[in-house]
Amino acid sequence: MVTDLPPPAAPLPAAIRIADLCFAYHAKPALQQITLDLPAHQITALIGPSGCGKSTLLRCINRINDRIPGARITAGSIHIHGIDINRPDIDLQELRRRVGMVFQKSNPFPKSIYENVVFSLRLSGIHKRSELDATAETALHAAALWDEVKDRLHTRALGLSGGQQQRLCIARAIASQPDILLMDEPCAALDPIATLKIEELLHQLKKQYTIVIVTHSMAQATRCADHTAFMDLGRLIEFRPTLQLFNTPHHPQTLAYVTGSFG
Amino acid sequence: MSKTDEVPHRFSKQGFSLEKAIRFFFASNAGLTIVILVLIIAFLLKEGLGFFPGYRRELEVYRIAGLEFVDLSRSNLTAHEQLSSVLNRAYFAQINGLCASELKRSQEAAAVFNAYSERSAATHDLIVSNLDAGIAPDSEMLATLRQNHAASTRKALAELPATPHLTRAERAALIQSIATREVSSKDDPPLVTALAAQYAAAQQTHAEPLAGLRGTLDAFDAAGTDLSALVSEMTVAVTATKEAIQAGDVLEKNRTTLVAAAAHAKTPAAREKLLADAQTSLAAKTDIDGPMQALMLRKPACIAAHADLRQACAGILDGLPAALSQPEAERLLRVARKAIPAFMANLEQAPQRIGQWRHDTPVPLTAAIGSFLTGKDWVTGGEWQDFYGILPLLVGSLMISLVALCLAIPAGVGAAIYVNQFASRLEQAVIKPVIEFIQAIPSVVLGFIGILVFGSVLRDISQFDSLAWVPGFPIEERLNIFTAGCLLALMSIPTIFTLAEDALNNVPAAYAEASDALGASRIQTSFRVIIPAAFSGILAAVLLGLGRVIGETMVVLLVAGNRIKIPDFSSGIGAFLQPSHTLTGIIAQELGEVPLGSVHYRALFVVGILLFAIVLGINATAHKFVSRSRH
Amino acid sequence: MNNPESLIRTGLPKGHGKDLAVRVLLAAGTYLIVIIAALLFCKIIKDGAPVLFTTKAPYVDLGFLLDKNETLHVFDDAQGQRHQLPASKYSEYVKHHAGATIYNEQTFSYSGGGIIGPIVGTVLLTVGSMVLALFFGVSAAIYLSEYARQSPFIHAVRLAILNLAGIPSIVFGLFGFSVFVLAVPVITSTPADRSLLILPLFFGDAVLSFQGWNSSLMAGCATLACMILPVIITASEESLRAVPQGFRDAALAMGATRWQAIRTCVLPFSIPGILTSSLLAITRVAGETAPIMFTAAVAAKDDLPWQALANPFDLLASQVQALPYHIYTLAARIPASEYTQRAQYGSVFVFLILVASLSFGSMLLRAKLRSKLKW
Repeated sequence: MVTDLPPPAAPLPAAIRIADLCFAYHAKPALQQITLDLPAHQITALIGPSGCGKSTLLRCINRINDRIPGARITAGSIHIHGIDINRPDIDLQELRRRVGMVFQKSNPFPKSIYENVVFSLRLSGIHKRSELDATAETALHAAALWDEVKDRLHTRALGLSGGQQQRLCIARAIASQPDILLMDEPCAALDPIATLKIEELLHQLKKQYTIVIVTHSMAQATRCADHTAFMDLGRLIEFRPTLQLFNTPHHPQTLAYVTGSFG
Repeated sequence: MSKTDEVPHRFSKQGFSLEKAIRFFFASNAGLTIVILVLIIAFLLKEGLGFFPGYRRELEVYRIAGLEFVDLSRSNLTAHEQLSSVLNRAYFAQINGLCASELKRSQEAAAVFNAYSERSAATHDLIVSNLDAGIAPDSEMLATLRQNHAASTRKALAELPATPHLTRAERAALIQSIATREVSSKDDPPLVTALAAQYAAAQQTHAEPLAGLRGTLDAFDAAGTDLSALVSEMTVAVTATKEAIQAGDVLEKNRTTLVAAAAHAKTPAAREKLLADAQTSLAAKTDIDGPMQALMLRKPACIAAHADLRQACAGILDGLPAALSQPEAERLLRVARKAIPAFMANLEQAPQRIGQWRHDTPVPLTAAIGSFLTGKDWVTGGEWQDFYGILPLLVGSLMISLVALCLAIPAGVGAAIYVNQFASRLEQAVIKPVIEFIQAIPSVVLGFIGILVFGSVLRDISQFDSLAWVPGFPIEERLNIFTAGCLLALMSIPTIFTLAEDALNNVPAAYAEASDALGASRIQTSFRVIIPAAFSGILAAVLLGLGRVIGETMVVLLVAGNRIKIPDFSSGIGAFLQPSHTLTGIIAQELGEVPLGSVHYRALFVVGILLFAIVLGINATAHKFVSRSRH
Repeated sequence: MNNPESLIRTGLPKGHGKDLAVRVLLAAGTYLIVIIAALLFCKIIKDGAPVLFTTKAPYVDLGFLLDKNETLHVFDDAQGQRHQLPASKYSEYVKHHAGATIYNEQTFSYSGGGIIGPIVGTVLLTVGSMVLALFFGVSAAIYLSEYARQSPFIHAVRLAILNLAGIPSIVFGLFGFSVFVLAVPVITSTPADRSLLILPLFFGDAVLSFQGWNSSLMAGCATLACMILPVIITASEESLRAVPQGFRDAALAMGATRWQAIRTCVLPFSIPGILTSSLLAITRVAGETAPIMFTAAVAAKDDLPWQALANPFDLLASQVQALPYHIYTLAARIPASEYTQRAQYGSVFVFLILVASLSFGSMLLRAKLRSKLKW
């Protein structure tokens, strides 16, 4: 799906529009004037050196940054399908249900595999057994985990391997049928084989979901992402289709980073 | 080169070194903890295990002296008396309930007058005694005394108790009559007399329709006379036998001691003397058969008295009214109705039991153990027979702990959840030190507060008419299970709070983040993710709190009321408002007063062993949960 | 995305009412505890402060703090004047007004005079037991944190500490009574009848008799020290472990022996932490009643512990009054009346001030150390 179209006017419909976004922890700015349109049903990778603000940007999209005291958006906006998600009357729970998130370190709850997957359904007050079963199966299938765990759905989730746990977290996130999946370095703590499985999974998931992934690995970005955004020091340096960004970077900083002579 | 010739490398050390000595010194100090624990267990067992043989001997004496035989009859007599008391209480509760208004008015007026009398008694008595001593009526001193009395009267009148059932005019008249009362007057104020008369009249009116019941009750009361006389007669006889046996035991013990001392004596002369002493101490074998035969001759009389009692009581159920209108009376009536069949059944079996009883049935050691573990009486220092039954103490300890936990779990865990999950930084900075500071209050201070403040407040509250529907209200004793439970709850809240808060704090932040990212609201995150994840830690906190509550001594000793009796559960939840005694309290109260090495002394150590085992079990369980809750 | 407008909520957030209700309920419960605690303190301060503090300089009723405890006599003289005098002043009064009649005399045990006896006794018990507990406890902690490797012995020690920490204080009372009062060895020439074992010592008449120390200051100190030992060990071990491993490694690398490393590079840095946690242990030792009831405490005593002694060692062998036991006596053993309130609330107030200042001090010290000792 990687395109060679010229970057400025991507004709694809944008699922997430980020405009002039500035963000600060207390008085310390973390993001400065980010403008970025993330296309629907595509995988967008955010790359950049440590501390460049890519995770912060990702965490703005489902407003999970609200948890951190003193963190706030100082200017700009994020629109998801035309809705400004920082309006005061946004239903935060609904937003997070529609924008799923997978964290760097897999974090299943200390409950059974089954209960982990149906967690978001129970939150919305669904307790009908048949419905829960159906969702659990679909989500685990979608996360390519069903065959491995179908016989032990009611055992502890913490007993799974690292890669399985991470896929369980993906299943848990997609069980609430989101439109967008945010992934914060989902493979950072995994071995290469588990990483490969997750990457395969991403290609499957892209058909249904808009995916934003933060990654440290440029190889992973080239393997998975349709578009890649390079960030540094809280600013967006360059955002283009992945191959173009890596092969013909426009910006010298990008060039330095992708060729490995950075910092 | 052979091994012995090997020259040690110059880095290696040999033999004794200061380092090793230091290390050994520290290791032995660490080992001290094991020594202490072993000593605790060893000495508890050493003092405690002698209890069971000693208690077995006491039970044996109880049997061979015939006390047990008398108790066969006495238990029925006691049951009869209790039943009679309940029925009479029901009767009076009915009458007093019907004339409740008169009763309260009379009581309130009397209370006002008594309050005044108490507070002015000193100055009043001083005048009277001086007058009696013949002081001149117009002397200066008498005038001063009168002035003092007037002052104390004014002060007393300013602080009279409330009288909600008297009209304002009546109260004013009463105060007026007190204020103008002659010093020499011995009569009650007119209103007090009048209200007492009104009450008596009302009592009489309401007693008339119940004349039938009165008759039945009187007949029931009288039915026990014969058996009662017989029991008192036998009591005298068996007590004498028991004393003789015990005196014989003491002499025998002396003799053994003397013989043992003779074996260690330094000179032959001293040995001779000790042996001679031992010889004189040789008791003539106590005659138990003679008195026992005399006692057995009473068997037919006992059986006959029981038969009479049974016949006299046979109609009692039919003689009772179907229902009484006053709730308290009706409750007591129901209690009696429930107790009567068991009472009658016991009466029926009594002749057979009396007939079959034998004084020479052996008392095995298991009987002593069983009597300790399942005995419902803890009676000590009595003239009749000491019983060491653990149940009243155990039940008291458990009920107090139950009250304490029922209050402390919601409060402690709730506060931990609030502080950990919802409170602002500022709130945390205030609440945490305050709750931790409660932990520093010594338990004896809490007990003191319980006696002087909390118990009285609770009793005053329970006396409001509007709260009469609460079971057990108005409370009879201000020191009771509930008071003690409340204070222990206060004591255990810091323990539960601190540990539960730690458990919540130890839940990884990633869980909360994941839950938020899945669209959970704040309380959904708290109640569906964090609290379940901290559950075993919270459970451990509760268990450690329970361990603290059961092992606490001073508060229960001061506040539980110290009545050694299993609470009366017939009043339902009101049983929690009765006084009680506890495992810890009994040790603290009685250890200082018992002779060293006596059966009673050893019984207290067995209670200590039991307590030790219970608390250790609870703590071990708690630590299992703690290690499970490590994330 | 279908229907993105559903992100916008109408009205209050879902579950807002429930959320609010839960919060309010939990907050109410929490503040109820805080308020009850505050009320308790207020009550004691309200009734106790007037006993200790006066309106005239030096603003403290030194008599209450420094006088001996006596029986209180309450009586009226012929003028109807009410007097409340402790026993010594009462006999003076009677001597002075020889022949005067006294009316309505009542006596209240332990309620007159001051509380110097209990205060001194509590201080002696606390100091004695803390010295013992710190010596043995810190040594044990040094072994556990510096020398110990995984071994069955260490396992047993940890198990013993855990179990000792949970034992109820009254069981320590039983233990102290049966061991320190009745069974530990003493050197004497006249062994008691109840002695468990008598060993000859081969000089003079002296024998080693296992007959205990009787109810005495040293029996009480030993009992309290055993009770507090696990607390001291745990706290000290924590302080020792808080010293970075690098300090030890550095010392050892420079050729220090293990003990030298501990003495110079570990202990000095952990002593503040050990002392802080011992302050908390002191509040517990000072406040306990059950363990000293049968091992050391006495309700009434005419002399201060060091008075009327044949030789200084008798101080350790004599019984003492103690503040918590005094409060217990005042609360449980004598009938309450308006005349006993001064002694009761005054003692409780003084005791609470003592305990509060200790625990407040340890809180402050802990906060200060935390900010100071960081590496």
